[in-house]
Amino acid sequence: MRNKLMLVGFILLLTILAACGNSTEEGQTDNTNEEETTEEASNSEENASEESGGEVNLYTGRHYETDQELYDQFTEETGIEVNVIQGDDDELIARLDREGKASEADLLMTADAGRLHRAKSMDLLQQVDSETLNENIPENLRDEESQWFGLTKRARVIVYNKETVNPEDIQTYADLTKDEFQDKVLIRSSSNIYNQSLLASMIALDGEEAAKEWAQGIVDNMARAPKGGDRDQAKAVIAGEGDVAVMNTYYLGKMLNSEDEEEVKVAEQLGIIFPNQDTTGTHVNISGIGMTASSKNQENAQQFMEFLTTEAAQEQFAEANYEYPVNPNVEAAELLQSWGEFKAQDLNLSELGENNERAIQIMNEVGWQ
Amino acid sequence: MKLIRKLPGYINIWTWLSLIIVVLILLPNVSILINFFTQEADNWEHIQEFILPDLLKNTSLIMIFTGILAIFLGTSLAWLVSAYDFPMKKFFKWALILPLAIPPYIAGYTYNGILNYTGVIQTTLRNQFGISVDQKYFDILTLPGAVFIFTLFLFPYVFTITRAFLANQSASLIENARLLGRNAWEVYFRIVLPISRGAIVGGTSLVLLEVLNDYGLVQYFGVPTFSTAIFQTWFGMNDINSAIKLSATLMFIVFAVLIIEKLLRGRKKYSNTTAKVRPLNPIQLKGRKAWTAFSYCLFIFSLGFLIPFIQLLDWMFLTFDKIASPEFTTLIQNSLLVSFIGAAMISVFAVIIANFSRMHQSFFSKSAARVTILGYSIPGAVIAVGISTVFIDIDNLLFSFYESIGMEPTLFLSTSLFMLISAYVIRFLAVGYNSVESGFDKIGNKFTEASRMLGMNMTKTFFKVDLRMIKGPLISGFILSFIEILKELPLTLILRPFNFDTLSTQAFQYAGDEQIHEASLASIIIVVISGIAIYIFHQVLEKEPN
Repeated sequence: MRNKLMLVGFILLLTILAACGNSTEEGQTDNTNEEETTEEASNSEENASEESGGEVNLYTGRHYETDQELYDQFTEETGIEVNVIQGDDDELIARLDREGKASEADLLMTADAGRLHRAKSMDLLQQVDSETLNENIPENLRDEESQWFGLTKRARVIVYNKETVNPEDIQTYADLTKDEFQDKVLIRSSSNIYNQSLLASMIALDGEEAAKEWAQGIVDNMARAPKGGDRDQAKAVIAGEGDVAVMNTYYLGKMLNSEDEEEVKVAEQLGIIFPNQDTTGTHVNISGIGMTASSKNQENAQQFMEFLTTEAAQEQFAEANYEYPVNPNVEAAELLQSWGEFKAQDLNLSELGENNERAIQIMNEVGWQ
Repeated sequence: MKLIRKLPGYINIWTWLSLIIVVLILLPNVSILINFFTQEADNWEHIQEFILPDLLKNTSLIMIFTGILAIFLGTSLAWLVSAYDFPMKKFFKWALILPLAIPPYIAGYTYNGILNYTGVIQTTLRNQFGISVDQKYFDILTLPGAVFIFTLFLFPYVFTITRAFLANQSASLIENARLLGRNAWEVYFRIVLPISRGAIVGGTSLVLLEVLNDYGLVQYFGVPTFSTAIFQTWFGMNDINSAIKLSATLMFIVFAVLIIEKLLRGRKKYSNTTAKVRPLNPIQLKGRKAWTAFSYCLFIFSLGFLIPFIQLLDWMFLTFDKIASPEFTTLIQNSLLVSFIGAAMISVFAVIIANFSRMHQSFFSKSAARVTILGYSIPGAVIAVGISTVFIDIDNLLFSFYESIGMEPTLFLSTSLFMLISAYVIRFLAVGYNSVESGFDKIGNKFTEASRMLGMNMTKTFFKVDLRMIKGPLISGFILSFIEILKELPLTLILRPFNFDTLSTQAFQYAGDEQIHEASLASIIIVVISGIAIYIFHQVLEKEPN
């Protein structure tokens, strides 16, 4: 008897909880009046969202809680609700593709220019002619046909162990392939999009052959089989597994500001180099946004895009996540400024997307796991 | 005359229901598989030349070792807690299922966080004792490391299913063997392993399919496998056809393994011949033996649950102020909602197909049983594409219907929870099915036949006899699929409606971006809910035999 009662009790409990959840579900399927969504931050003023100014639907591959704060701010200022689906860049693009014309998404935000380019080449985006956007974003950080726009920049830099490496020896990406760094180079796997984009940029700037030679040199100099994330490479440098590592700037920023003091200690022992200053410049990637071809709230969507490039929003983007703002009128966070100005690759980022496939093939060919 | 009398028994409601379910499962998969034979894949040669050999090597190594180790851990622990009494055995009976509550990729991040240079072990050695260690002894980001994680966090599949089977299975066989003077090892190898073969195979195939499907862990550990290659060719090279060829290759391997197993098993069937199913009487262990058994259980429990759980707790306290918010109640509700509905539907479908398949020895019924596993063997992201294609097509067909009832023609179904839950059912049907099937295996057909002989029809027999006899396995199938859905990732991420976040998407949002500390709160809640589910259902299971 008792066991049955327990079972029934548990089912009842779950059903009640499920019923509570149900109201959320209905709220979403008709997508009009979102008063009980998860997105409402506890302390945000509800007044704004009640006098509804419509909505805008966003697919985003960025996963930072600070982004949500920006969306809330936008809702507060304009009364336009921001509905969000977070996911993997690639999967969101696949979803958009399947949904076709009927898709409810108005905007696609990804953490890599190559992906935006791919969405464009699949005819998933549309042109947005906005003076505000063109003014706020430098030309090479947006699509030539105005189908996507950069929002934040991140540089892929070299970090080194201050105790064992003389920074003079390592001024370019090519220096990583020098004999003296045999078994000293730490870099993550070829499945990582940042590495793919780095190699794609080299194909664009130096040609395929040089890029392949470089990739081969990296593989020859690897301290260990590629594994882990960017932070793991940094830790491995200090742990003595190698001397130099390739990582994105914002991971270093986050390590320096980590709650875990050991991570801070590691980051403090690292020196940072912006490679190729005398030649082609440091590899820079963006996270960016584009309006979907199927957008049903075009005005709201454009307003949202413009909002994200305003000085106030850019400051917050940059400050919170240690990324570089794209808006030239906005200064980078203090930490990033302390690393100094740097010369970035002079490259339209569309090229990253165009060369992505070739980059992966090269990585496979040279045995970059 | 004979034919007419036969018909109602062969084509009845069960057949139709099974047919419908099979079609539902096949639809999304077929839409993908068709491409395998029709489309040219640009990069297929490149893949064959440069990456396929490595993939096959890594994937088979991981599968072989994880399989063997999971069988070893799962059956030995199941046997210990079923056949012996020792300190805290009651606790271990359910606590040893708890590792399932931690998704392998979270476990991977956590273990790396414990062992790496800034982890608690090395930090303590360095700061307290001034000892610097060689990194290679602390490097878990390797193929053996992946096997370690997979084994520890997936072996409970083998453990639960085998234990549910042993708990009230042929006590007579085991006791006879003991009476005839067989020692513990002989009983284990000559009785326990052979009779639980069905359960072991069921559990192990779940483990292996889960391994094949994993993306997060192998990607982080830098061990290229089929799933990483599928993602890379699909998304990186923009070559979905090669990706599908890879998935299909993977599926053929899975089917080959399953068929070989079926053939090897041949006609050996072990089911009860008597109605007197009684639980196994455990032997009381004393002294050193008792403590050995206890330590073994505790050791595995610590590695598979306690240690990572404590580490997650520690990280949770580090980041609690930054992360915690009232939003979490919504996340919990959402997670419970989809997990519960999904698991309930899986249980119903699993019973229908399993019952059909055992009553009808036809080609269709056998294939129906195999089809359930289809969704489990294909990477989640690939399934997601198949499912959303089908739903969007249905929506397009329904546009005029939507208009006629005064709605705007939008993607109604494919932006609703309905699609997500269907996806869960297709994905995890195998989990519920395996458990139910092993239950049916256990009772055999004799009781059903007796009941039919006594004049009850199929459906009546089902409710009055069969369902009651498989209640235990059915419930364990429900728990397992409930937990699976609770921690599921790629499907939830890609198929959910707007603003619908769950605990696992929240955890991923951080962990996917190397913010494992921030991911700990959501992970802990997943673990706690799964833990409660495991405990409650364990209680139900325990009282089962009477």
